[in-house]
Amino acid sequence: MTQRISKSKRFFMMNPIIQFFKFIWLSIKIMLVVAGGHGGTRKANS
Amino acid sequence: MSKIVILGAGISGHVAAAHLRRKLSKEHEVLVVSPNSNYQWIPSNIWVGIGRMKSDQILFPLPPLYKKKNINFKQALVTTFHPEGDAETESAFVKIKYVNGQQKGNTENVTYDYLINATGPKLAFDMTEGLNPGTNKAYSVCTYSHAEHAWHALDDLIQQMKQGKKAKILIGTGHAKSTCQGAAFEYILNVEQELRRHNVRDQAEVIWIANEYQLGDFGMDGVLLSYGDNIMKSSEMVEMIFEDRGIKWILGAGVNKIEDGIAHYETLDGEYKSETYDFAMLIPAFSGHGFKAFDKNNEDITEKLFKGFMLVDADYTPKPYEEWSVQDWPETYQNPSYNNIFAPGIAFAPPHAISKPRVSKNGTSISPAPPRTGMPSGITAKLVADNIIDIINGKKDLHHKGSLGNMGAACIASAGYGMTKGSGVSITTYPIVPDYNKYPNTQGRKLGKTFGEIGLAGHWLKFALHYAFIYKAKMKPFWWLIPE
Ligand SMILES: Cc1cc2nc3c(=O)[nH]c(=O)nc-3n(C[C@H](O)[C@H](O)[C@H](O)COP(=O)(O)OP(=O)(O)OC[C@H]3O[C@@H](n4cnc5c(N)ncnc54)[C@H](O)[C@@H]3O)c2cc1C
Repeated sequence: MTQRISKSKRFFMMNPIIQFFKFIWLSIKIMLVVAGGHGGTRKANS
Repeated sequence: MSKIVILGAGISGHVAAAHLRRKLSKEHEVLVVSPNSNYQWIPSNIWVGIGRMKSDQILFPLPPLYKKKNINFKQALVTTFHPEGDAETESAFVKIKYVNGQQKGNTENVTYDYLINATGPKLAFDMTEGLNPGTNKAYSVCTYSHAEHAWHALDDLIQQMKQGKKAKILIGTGHAKSTCQGAAFEYILNVEQELRRHNVRDQAEVIWIANEYQLGDFGMDGVLLSYGDNIMKSSEMVEMIFEDRGIKWILGAGVNKIEDGIAHYETLDGEYKSETYDFAMLIPAFSGHGFKAFDKNNEDITEKLFKGFMLVDADYTPKPYEEWSVQDWPETYQNPSYNNIFAPGIAFAPPHAISKPRVSKNGTSISPAPPRTGMPSGITAKLVADNIIDIINGKKDLHHKGSLGNMGAACIASAGYGMTKGSGVSITTYPIVPDYNKYPNTQGRKLGKTFGEIGLAGHWLKFALHYAFIYKAKMKPFWWLIPE
């Protein structure tokens, strides 16, 4: 095992309070990707 | 009045049925044909496979729901397609074979005005010699029953490890052309965490084996993503996670034979090697179901409908990798020969892979097939349903389009279960199929929308999505407000 994630980073990743805000941020960011919609690729305006 | 027949009740078939029923008046018939009477939320199979969820938490029976919602249901397998009818039947039909109840074994011709083929993949275990879930110590998590079986075997091994046994665990792809690396990635991280939870991690060697050329390829040619303030490759991110968790890896491996506790594979260098194991979970190749199609005179017209999977509005002209274009990918999932037939989700034939194809020195093709995850499966099913509704309402053109080259996918990979100890690796990619013309400097993807995150929040999100999508699938109040 090679430690590739520093202690402070791991604390950030696993701290429930920080991660609660991350959860909200992530949910919004993902919703924006989803809400960004979808379309074709073959017509310039599609 | 129109009759819409949907083959399959997985993510795409069920989404199509639900939207059609909600938006079409009762005079139109919506009929689902599927061999399994349960709806299963497949992404949560990972947690069944580590014993942290029971099957009944990820499935529910479809017949009562369909009865309540006025969706007809036949528990049967489609066997052949007859898009022009035949000598006796004027209209287009599919032949189905019942798999349950008093009608078991009986066949029936089911006519349709519109057909949605949402039969997903065949889990082609038979393409790898000796790979059969539950034999040779190799398992699968592709269905809830496979995942339960895998958990029993893993649990047995954990108990033996508690008595001092040293074990080797092999997880990844079980064929040179497998896809769905994401599911295996989730499973290896969850297994690794469970080993730690049971205090047996030190006795286990955990190994990733995959047909990917690089870690983090995921059948999407890898992604360049923003991670915090950095821009990194998915290969670097996965390498960081694997090293941190003490997971070893074997790449460019085309597994071709499984014996009791031994996986034989060929490498891109053309070498034939093997790896022993005490427990393996290997994703099989996904293939088409081998359906046949016939015209009015009973002549075989399979090639008009299928190329393994179902042919749709893609550009199937064979081309070298350098000439692949995002425009090759379908937009409406309509069959070019029969415009009342559609194939969303995994059921459509992709024009080519997304990852760069690679061939071993012996000529064996070893590289991932293109994945089609839950979100695009749901989106393509909904747009097919919307186009059919438009046609029924008299519109001529198909207005709803959704190419994988102009669509994002949010992949929240579970990296361990638990409300305080869990973790998730969220990789959101836009577009799924890289568009090298639009985004030439960022490997075909838009950076702001292609990002990665690791941490507890990812687990919470995946957990919340489990309940949200089951709520949606059960068609509870305002279910349609939850996006696909
Ligand atoms: C273990 C695992 C984990 C995954 N995790 C994720 C994840 O976290 N996120 C994500 O986005 N995606 C995930 N995926 C991928 C996702 O499950 C698929 O993209 C999705 O299920 C595809 O939907 P589908 O409806 O096209 O096919 P399926 O879900 O496979 O549905 C096919 C349906 O067709 C039926 N059928 C089969 N043969 C016939 C026949 N002859 N006649 C009639 N019906 C038939 C089947 O019974 C089934 O109901 C995961 C996949 C696996 C295996």
